[in-house]
Amino acid sequence: MSAPEPRVMVLYCPGLAGPRTARAFDQVLTAVTAFCPAVEAVEPGVCAFGARGPARYFGGETALAARITAAIADLGVESQAGVADGLFAAYLAARAVGAPRADTASGICPVLVIPPGRTPEFLARQPVSVLARQPVSALAGQDAAGDLAGQDFAALLSRLGLHTLGDLAALSPDDVASRFGAAGETAHRLARGLGSRPLAVRPPAEDLSVAQEFDPPEPLSEPVVFAAKALAERMHEGLAARGLTCVRVQVRAVCADGRENRRLWRHDGLLSAAALADRVRWQLDGWQVPAPPVGTIDGTTGSTPDGTTDGGIVVLRLVPDQVVHATGHQLALWGETVVSDRVARAAMRVQAMLGHEAVLRPVLGGGRDVAEQVNDVPFGEKRQPRLAVGAPWPGRIMGAVPGVVYPFAREADVTDDAGDAVTVTGRCVISAAPAWLAADGVPPLRITGWAGPWPLSERWWDPAAARRRARFQLLTDDGRAWLAAVQDGRWLIEGGYC
Amino acid sequence: MAAEVSRSPVSQAADPLRDGTLPVLPALRDGTLPVLPALRELLPRGGLARGSVVTVAEFGLLILALAAGASADGAWCGIAGVPEAGMLAAAGLGLDAERTLLVPDPGHAWPQVVASLLDGCELVLLRPPAQAPAQVRQRLEATLRRGRGVLLVVGDWPGAQVRLRILTQGWTGLGDGHGRLRACCAQVTADGRGEAAVTRTRWLWLPAEDGNVSAAEPPDIPVPERHLQVVRAG
Repeated sequence: MSAPEPRVMVLYCPGLAGPRTARAFDQVLTAVTAFCPAVEAVEPGVCAFGARGPARYFGGETALAARITAAIADLGVESQAGVADGLFAAYLAARAVGAPRADTASGICPVLVIPPGRTPEFLARQPVSVLARQPVSALAGQDAAGDLAGQDFAALLSRLGLHTLGDLAALSPDDVASRFGAAGETAHRLARGLGSRPLAVRPPAEDLSVAQEFDPPEPLSEPVVFAAKALAERMHEGLAARGLTCVRVQVRAVCADGRENRRLWRHDGLLSAAALADRVRWQLDGWQVPAPPVGTIDGTTGSTPDGTTDGGIVVLRLVPDQVVHATGHQLALWGETVVSDRVARAAMRVQAMLGHEAVLRPVLGGGRDVAEQVNDVPFGEKRQPRLAVGAPWPGRIMGAVPGVVYPFAREADVTDDAGDAVTVTGRCVISAAPAWLAADGVPPLRITGWAGPWPLSERWWDPAAARRRARFQLLTDDGRAWLAAVQDGRWLIEGGYC
Repeated sequence: MAAEVSRSPVSQAADPLRDGTLPVLPALRDGTLPVLPALRELLPRGGLARGSVVTVAEFGLLILALAAGASADGAWCGIAGVPEAGMLAAAGLGLDAERTLLVPDPGHAWPQVVASLLDGCELVLLRPPAQAPAQVRQRLEATLRRGRGVLLVVGDWPGAQVRLRILTQGWTGLGDGHGRLRACCAQVTADGRGEAAVTRTRWLWLPAEDGNVSAAEPPDIPVPERHLQVVRAG
């Protein structure tokens, strides 16, 4: 006779039972870790842990389950808890909560607690079809259990008149083993409330961040940057010892007055300790850049003119973000411009001053309008066009491309010789030949040539992106040419050919 | 380096007299960034002298074309203060979008931003958000000489070595309600200080029908009659 099965609590999140919600489920695991450090993630949306210790600490299994489901509800995730002897029964209990059962409902809390010793009773009422559910073989933890997963086995039991696990458990083990083999034996043990495998808990996540405190607060940035180099070495050693690297690293600096400055830097396992210290320097520089009318050029020293940083820095912390296994780095062979260190340093220095989004790299992509054919991507991020390049994009204006493309189209007034506004009907018929162009209060320009309207009606299936417009090219008497469009009855100047 | 030499103006098989420039010593050629062939005649050394400031009166295809030659040759180009830069047109002229950094809004700290960009890029195209005080200009020029880069400025920059502007331009291809823009013929003039003191004026297709920049032959110039008269008079 084996030892009594331990008390196990299973948490089931119906909304997260898919591979795409792994990150959300990871947050759930972290929340559960606050109550019980040793948690096993059984499958996406299902986790399990030993209930005995935490239940005693938090005042009972029901109270524990109520606290955990409440904590997870704060994350916006719905969950159900089940407590029973053994992993298999606890899992079935957690799944059973969803079904309304008058005899076991415990208030509004989605928890089903099977009292100790009464697990076989609970199991006996379960239909044999539960054996066909996906994770059951994983719960049994035996090699032969793979056979259980098939729908066939449960269907066979039903055809033989064994409708509940209780019916199966009532048979003698020898008969079941001789008739159904190893799979049957496993199912029989599960049905009697035995044979669940022990929990395989994951160790709590290690804190890989490193920090340095400054006491007294360090008013100058130079010593902080110096400490940052040693800190970065410690962080890299910690990551390397575990065979890990990080995609990004977060630098947090806390001032004596409580203000905190945090910024994420691209790492990708490529930054040396000195390079990371440079990032810290730039970040501190950027933080301290005051707002004078005209700045000075030499921003290399990291302090404001009076050499202080608002009371000084108390803590500098480096936090690896998105920790991944270190798989080495392969430089691009071709098809991708390698950004030299010199350029990267310059770009990141500007990013440190103005923010991540301030330094962009243009990516040429597909699209029908000039503005949508260029996507600007912040420096350091993956360059990928928003719209496919290879597609034909009928409706593009062929020929010359405007050298000036306004980020926001300028509103304009286009009038005919009589002084009336030129309009375009829904069938793209123009009311009169455009004769004058006026924009931004500039004196009107005489239109000496024009072409259009070229209609464009795209993405009608998506109300947010749908557009209907008629485009024109206009030539004015100062020798310049303009790309204009009529949209919603208004004239817009999108760019200038000059 | 060999590739650059073979692409520079005088080492090509064409005779230097046709280029309209004096033969350039190889040692000096090293001190320039290459430009598109059609623009060589406008610049005193047939290229953008390293450490110099070149201004163009207005932002447009001309300044993008000036940057395109060096960018196509492998230089990184930073564009600061020009949110409306048409990168599609620039790419058509030869500017490599892969090697371009955009800082659309450098803000009040623009001198530091430009100095940082000059550390990384050989070519920086700038439209200063405000008139630069003399002190700021001198410090940026010192940074420029140290880094051996080139600063292309939209607008005015006292002390610029070369100043370019478009005198007149005319588009072809557009009729009265029909056609489409095909090519633009522009009269570009360059003057400046020192060796650039001689005013040079050229007619260019900016862009030509194939999207490139090329020199325009007088018979092809499709500019209204009054402009042609001006050219004869000048």
